[in-house]
Amino acid sequence: MNRRRIQAVTRKEFYHLVRDFRSLYLAFAIPLLLILLFGYALSLDVDRIATVVVDHDRTALTRDLIRRLDASTYFTVRTILPDTKVAGEALDRGDATLAVIIPAGLTAGIKHERETAIQLLLDGSDPNFSNIARAYVNAFFDRYNQERLGVFLNRQGKSAPAQPVEGRIRIWFNEDLESRNFIIPGIIAVIIMIVGAMLTSLVIAREYENGTMETIRALPLSAGEFLMGKAIPYFLIGLTDVLAAILMAQILFGIVMKSSFWLMMAASSLYLAVALTLGLLISLLTKSQLVANQIALLITYLPSLLLSNFVFPVSNMPAILQGLTRFVPATYYIDILTGIYLKNLNFLQLWVSFAVLTVMFLTLLTANWLQLRKEGL
Amino acid sequence: MKIDRIRIRELVRKEFIQLFRDKKIRPILIVAPLIQILIFGYVVNYDIRHIRMAVLDEARTRESRLIVETFQGNGIFGITRFLHHDHDIEPLMIRGEADLVLKIGPDLSERMKQGKSAAVQLIADGSMSNMASIRVSYAVAVLQQINNTLLHELHPHAVRYGRIDPRIRTWYNPNLDSQYFFVPAIVAVIIMVISLLLTSIAIIREKETGTLEQLIVTPLTPFEFIVGKTIPYILISLAQMAVVTIFAVLWFQIPLEGSIPALFGASCLFLLSTLGIGLFISTVSSTQQQAVMTTFFFLLPFFMLSGFVFPIANMPEFVQWLTYLNPMRYFLVIIRGLFLKGVGLDVLWPQYLALSLLGIVVFSGAVGFFRKRLD
Repeated sequence: MNRRRIQAVTRKEFYHLVRDFRSLYLAFAIPLLLILLFGYALSLDVDRIATVVVDHDRTALTRDLIRRLDASTYFTVRTILPDTKVAGEALDRGDATLAVIIPAGLTAGIKHERETAIQLLLDGSDPNFSNIARAYVNAFFDRYNQERLGVFLNRQGKSAPAQPVEGRIRIWFNEDLESRNFIIPGIIAVIIMIVGAMLTSLVIAREYENGTMETIRALPLSAGEFLMGKAIPYFLIGLTDVLAAILMAQILFGIVMKSSFWLMMAASSLYLAVALTLGLLISLLTKSQLVANQIALLITYLPSLLLSNFVFPVSNMPAILQGLTRFVPATYYIDILTGIYLKNLNFLQLWVSFAVLTVMFLTLLTANWLQLRKEGL
Repeated sequence: MKIDRIRIRELVRKEFIQLFRDKKIRPILIVAPLIQILIFGYVVNYDIRHIRMAVLDEARTRESRLIVETFQGNGIFGITRFLHHDHDIEPLMIRGEADLVLKIGPDLSERMKQGKSAAVQLIADGSMSNMASIRVSYAVAVLQQINNTLLHELHPHAVRYGRIDPRIRTWYNPNLDSQYFFVPAIVAVIIMVISLLLTSIAIIREKETGTLEQLIVTPLTPFEFIVGKTIPYILISLAQMAVVTIFAVLWFQIPLEGSIPALFGASCLFLLSTLGIGLFISTVSSTQQQAVMTTFFFLLPFFMLSGFVFPIANMPEFVQWLTYLNPMRYFLVIIRGLFLKGVGLDVLWPQYLALSLLGIVVFSGAVGFFRKRLD
């Protein structure tokens, strides 16, 4: 390894990047955009469920029920509609996701201490949403009924029997149950893949397409030097992105690492190295920017988004896919990220993931080196 | 404007030859969408079918066993571990081996017999907040069921009072099957990615190799050039769309309730926007790397702000307004409407109208911009 030669390749790659100013600036703008999007705009938490009400009863009691529904943070009563058919159309158009149909005679039923049914129509298209919405509806009416029971028993001079079992819920690791707290760290994994693998997948293919690979082959440059020189600029860009992401998460969204910063940097560097070697290998094997890009999209970006426990839980996947996630580098990096950001773990508790990432890196590096040797470098 | 059919045809032919000459691209055009729909179809899944629960039963009485057995018999909860000590909980949760831990204190039965409430602890792994919410709500429902059983034992003559019984009917996707929601939408994602990337790269390649200059000096008009360049990708996108749709219906058994011509029409309108954006990207970019990065810059917000995974209703109002500029938003409403709700143009016409307007504006804008740059 000769430092000067590596420097030369790095400088050339930097010139490419700087001359192509937009790629460089997008390499910083895309992470920024992602973090802002996920921090401000995107959430899987359900509140303000758009609700329409059809009130066939129109009494003080039903008005109070509607007011309570609207006052809860989980429901927003949009309009009171005249009949069920219109409510169904509102669901069809997607203007509302929940329709509450209060039957005539609800008030009379309750006054006569009869159990009375209320019909609710729920748009089930989005299962995540409707699962949670359903639980909110049930909880709302449970509370309402408890209150009615209290009133009823009070009138008879009794007190309500204690619930035998009372569930005390404690949430660990993400106490406020904010989806942002796990999505923002996860985004760093996606960013590294985009910058690391997607960008570098074009780097060597470009040399082949422009015919400059022949020139490089003729230079006194070893395979290792060539790889290092190519990887360094993107490594620096990637690391800057990670730092920017960490800072933004902390300053804008108050998401703070529970564990050590240096552990985070070590893990990110390692994962970045895996991404870079993967991108370079794709580039080297395909020799065409179009093909390389498509493959990089398919085997780096999508898996790190989908098969990594990032937004979609691995434990829900079929067994084959669960096995596949074992080969996705992002799985291990996200495991480390959750450990650092949410669970407050140290290196000793995370070493397995570190070890797997290291093995992946070394394997990819060797594959790159062997392939370059075969190409005559 | 005079359009020469033969010239366009020749350009289309050249484009196809060039595209398929690269042996590596052929499998990608077919295999990539299929892999995507397979992975997406199985991965994008919020169905709660299995909740891994660990139990720490310090009471070991009839009542505590009743609680454990009710969870076990529920079908959704799988008790993966019986713990013996308090300090077993933490390592288990850290390794992520349990989603929920149920901890029953030693005084459960005594408190019950005294007519007091006995606390049962449910510890949930909140790392994925949405999943945690759903799991906890399922567990609370089971506890409610246990309470009803126990209350019935304690007070066989239940009080009747004026309570409301909420009967929730779930429309469109009664089994709350994630695949019904996500698989049709993947069709939209796939054509978006393919049409954007392929068009922008196809034109850039001419620029990079310098053949764009050659094409300009031929009698080909800019308009013919654009038409000839985009037709192959319209055809490829539509073919992929057809393959993926057939796959969704046959493999994932997603019912296509609405009409196929309506789906086809919406896809064409949607392609008008994406091709326009692709054309615009290729006009402002000079290298493939630039084009790829710029495409990504467009793809991400289109994808994220479309309601594909993240509900638009959850977004801040300002961002909700922005989504009106996103062609994918309308296309997803149409696709899901056609697949799940079985509604037709009578309900979906505003989406069709918006998609057409956006498509016409974006495409003609991109064509105008491209011609100006060419001069």
